[in-house]
Amino acid sequence: MTDAADARSRSGAASPGGWRRGLTARLAWVSLIIVAALSLIGSAIELTLSYRDIRTNVVVETNAALDLVMESAAEAAFQLNPTLAEPVTEGFLQLPRAAHVVLYDDFETLLAEGHKSDPGAQPLANRLFGDVVLYERPLDRAGLVVGSLSLTLSENYIAGQFWAIALESLTVGVIRTLAICLVMVAVFFLIITRPLVQTAAAVGSVDPKEPGNHLLPMPKGHRDDELGDLVAALNALLRQAQIGLDQRDAAERELTDLTHRLEDRVAERTRELERANEEIQNLNRRLTEENVRLGAELDVSRRIQHMVLPSQAELDAIGPLDIATFMEPADEVGGDYFDILFDGDRVRIGIGDVTGHGLESGVVMLMTQAAVRTLVAGDEAGLPEMLSILNRSLYGNVQRMGGDRSLSLALLDYHPDPEQAGFGRVKISGQHEVVLLIRDGVASVIDTEELGMTVALVDDVSPFLASMELAVQPGDTMILFTDGLTEAADVDEGLYGLDRLIRVASTAAATGDGSAGIRDQIIADVERHRGQKPLYDDISLIVARPR
Amino acid sequence: MSEQTPPDAPPAYTLDVDDATNTIRVSGTLRLNGVAAYQPITDTLMENALSWPQCVLDLSGLAFLNSSGIAMLSRFVIDMRNREDASLTIIGSKSVVWQGKSLRNLQRLMPSLVLELK
Repeated sequence: MTDAADARSRSGAASPGGWRRGLTARLAWVSLIIVAALSLIGSAIELTLSYRDIRTNVVVETNAALDLVMESAAEAAFQLNPTLAEPVTEGFLQLPRAAHVVLYDDFETLLAEGHKSDPGAQPLANRLFGDVVLYERPLDRAGLVVGSLSLTLSENYIAGQFWAIALESLTVGVIRTLAICLVMVAVFFLIITRPLVQTAAAVGSVDPKEPGNHLLPMPKGHRDDELGDLVAALNALLRQAQIGLDQRDAAERELTDLTHRLEDRVAERTRELERANEEIQNLNRRLTEENVRLGAELDVSRRIQHMVLPSQAELDAIGPLDIATFMEPADEVGGDYFDILFDGDRVRIGIGDVTGHGLESGVVMLMTQAAVRTLVAGDEAGLPEMLSILNRSLYGNVQRMGGDRSLSLALLDYHPDPEQAGFGRVKISGQHEVVLLIRDGVASVIDTEELGMTVALVDDVSPFLASMELAVQPGDTMILFTDGLTEAADVDEGLYGLDRLIRVASTAAATGDGSAGIRDQIIADVERHRGQKPLYDDISLIVARPR
Repeated sequence: MSEQTPPDAPPAYTLDVDDATNTIRVSGTLRLNGVAAYQPITDTLMENALSWPQCVLDLSGLAFLNSSGIAMLSRFVIDMRNREDASLTIIGSKSVVWQGKSLRNLQRLMPSLVLELK
């Protein structure tokens, strides 16, 4: 059952079919009871008054009648003449309510008697009127009592008159009661029930889906009363409900619209994401391949770098010099190179730094090491000549490889003095970082910039090559390093710096420690500086002291 | 020396050519991958430098140049040196670490090069 049909069936209780339980019926019953009760009280009062009137009338009229006949009755008693007495009693019996008349003389002798047939007083009639039916009068003539007259009235007759009045009064009362009730019910129905029922029926026929489209009709003549207020309030409610429904429908439409648009957008975005995902996966595959390749390259580079470093045993076997070295590769191995070669007489030291990192840098570093070793083995030329040949050879190979690696490279050649142990001369050529020579706690900073040119950058570096020679004596300390050391960064990106290296190396050299001790102090200080900061570049350090 | 360039990274450098002052200004960081990647920059340098009576190359704002870039720059300087009438001034910065030795080496490759370190 729909809501509308349900509402209509419920409103049926107020329609004409539901009269017995309706307001009109209740009003009819209530007014009937009230009017009947009032009418009953009125009738009772009327009856009481009628009762009293009848009694008074009976007494007054009877006495008046007695007064009229008193003289004739006295005359008849005085003369003791029954013939005269007869008309008196007959006359009384003409009165409708008289029942029994007796006339006595003064000797209590019956002169005349008359009576009507009377079945005997009913008990109720006797109770109502028994006290007003007996009349005794002495008969008086010229001051002498000559007899007496006794009159008895009929109680039944008087009561009958009273019943007639009572019945009439009751009939009028009932008719009046019904008439008042009928009028009240009719008026109530017309003024209240009928418009109420019509309004209820209109409410029942309101479409719950469109409550504001058919408003309730205003009952005629009720615009300004409570019913009008009710209908107006209901209509306001219906309009409000319609507004609410309209807003809900609009919101629903908007929501549906949004949902559709959102679905479209989600679908579109999903397609985009799928495309992006595919691209990412492709990229990821390539990156994974690249990473594997780079990882393998790094591994190879690191091994190349370490494979060709001089061993501690080799270093220990170098008679003229006490040499300690250090190399720490960066996470992405750089291209640090150093080598120390001892032929039983001279000590050759090479140190350099190939640009870039990875396999290519490692290969250039390896080629450099091999070339230096080859040239040293030949031992025919001076350092600048060696560097010139080296540059030509490396430049050619770097060009083959794609041409973007180059290196700084310095070569040192130490000649111990065969006459004096601990004395010697060192030749330096090639462009690299500065070389430190610490003597008596004071460091000389030997600039190599003018001694060479970046190797493998141009085909011929011979115009830029030069060499210098330094005397070395016992107690001297030579320090060689790559820029990974001086440019080691701390957590605030502060660089370690050449000044700090000079200070720490000078202090360490003054302690009289061997090369290994000096190296350890410098590296410990660099580690302190770095803290947790990762290495950006390889660190290489060579400490050499004559022995 | 780290010089890895992430793939498809946005250009971290700018190259301005100012015809009025015959100045080419390169700034930012240059980490192009390999010598070949620098060819467009080399072409720009050569094209302008040859059409000007004298060329000013301002590198003072170039915080980093990888080894491929230094190789490119060296070749550019040698090319300029090989032209008798060429005049080249390079402006550098003392506060940029890579520039000190590298720029002085360029000057040594081309003795007529004017190097201004700020």
